[in-house]
Amino acid sequence: MVVIVEEGLKGVRFFEFLTEEEREEFAEGSEPASFGPGETLIEEGRDPGSLFVLTSGRVEVRKRVPGHGDRLLARIDAAEGRTVVGERGLLGESGASATVMASGPVEAIKIPRETFRRMVAEGRPAAFKLSYRIARTLARRLTRLDEEVAEAIRELERRGETDLEAFRDRLITDWAI
Amino acid sequence: MEGTPSLRDVPLFRHLNDEEREELEELLEPADFEAGETLFEEGGLEVRLYVITSGTVEVHKGVLPGRRQHLATMKAPTVVGEMGLLTEPRAAASVEAKTSVEAYGIDRDRFLEMLDADSPAACKVVYEIGRALADRMARTDESIAGIIAQLENAPEATNFDVFQDRLIREWSF
Repeated sequence: MVVIVEEGLKGVRFFEFLTEEEREEFAEGSEPASFGPGETLIEEGRDPGSLFVLTSGRVEVRKRVPGHGDRLLARIDAAEGRTVVGERGLLGESGASATVMASGPVEAIKIPRETFRRMVAEGRPAAFKLSYRIARTLARRLTRLDEEVAEAIRELERRGETDLEAFRDRLITDWAI
Repeated sequence: MEGTPSLRDVPLFRHLNDEEREELEELLEPADFEAGETLFEEGGLEVRLYVITSGTVEVHKGVLPGRRQHLATMKAPTVVGEMGLLTEPRAAASVEAKTSVEAYGIDRDRFLEMLDADSPAACKVVYEIGRALADRMARTDESIAGIIAQLENAPEATNFDVFQDRLIREWSF
């Protein structure tokens, strides 16, 4: 099973910075996970959970908007490159900020939060490298969002042709789940 | 010992053991500021972070021309400029001493070298910064949900003044 999981972690851009041994360490604490259409990998508002590497299938990312049901933030297709969801949950203490739901059959590899936390407690470099990577992703997104909002405020001040819809769309790109 | 304060009281460093703390303490360079002096200029280089051991600083951002938005008042013991470790070394806001401030700089490049060498001290500090960022991201995501809700309620009826005020007031830069 470790071999399957290890194969799954290969070729994921998110894990490129790890050495082969470090990927193995993660593989040992990870497990394969399958989801049917409509099943949720991550549920908004629930306890922070695990990181998932999507190896096949498609998912939808949705966020509840007060008074509007929910809004589709993104569609992710593993066929376009193995990708990662739930990375913020590994580091944070708050509930997930969006729901990730399988659109069809989905195969994934789950790195449970407990595995990650145990590796941190043991002082394993692999876990710290992953947190560095996640922290950088978050820092960049926060910096970019701050600039988006500051720019929108200036735009409103200039009474220019403020395209609020475009502004809204820029706010929700690269949502870090 | 004079000139080598302990990082023990600073929240960002509280998970370090004695040995790790001493490793970082070796990087500390004393840097004191008078009230009114600038630790970081918005948009300027952020080549070090500061551990503030006494005094108070204020954080401002120039959101609108000619107006400085007050973002935070921070009291010792605290750290400023730590975001520069994770992004471009450019200050996103200005930090100014409100009282006289006793601080110690940690050079960004030296810290990043330690991180590259898998120094447990540097790794743990970045892990703590990451945890703080993850929680800040969660709050930011809620602010965004509020903005989206407002824009989707009636985009064409959105009062620009009210909306702008709300962005300024509620966005935690």
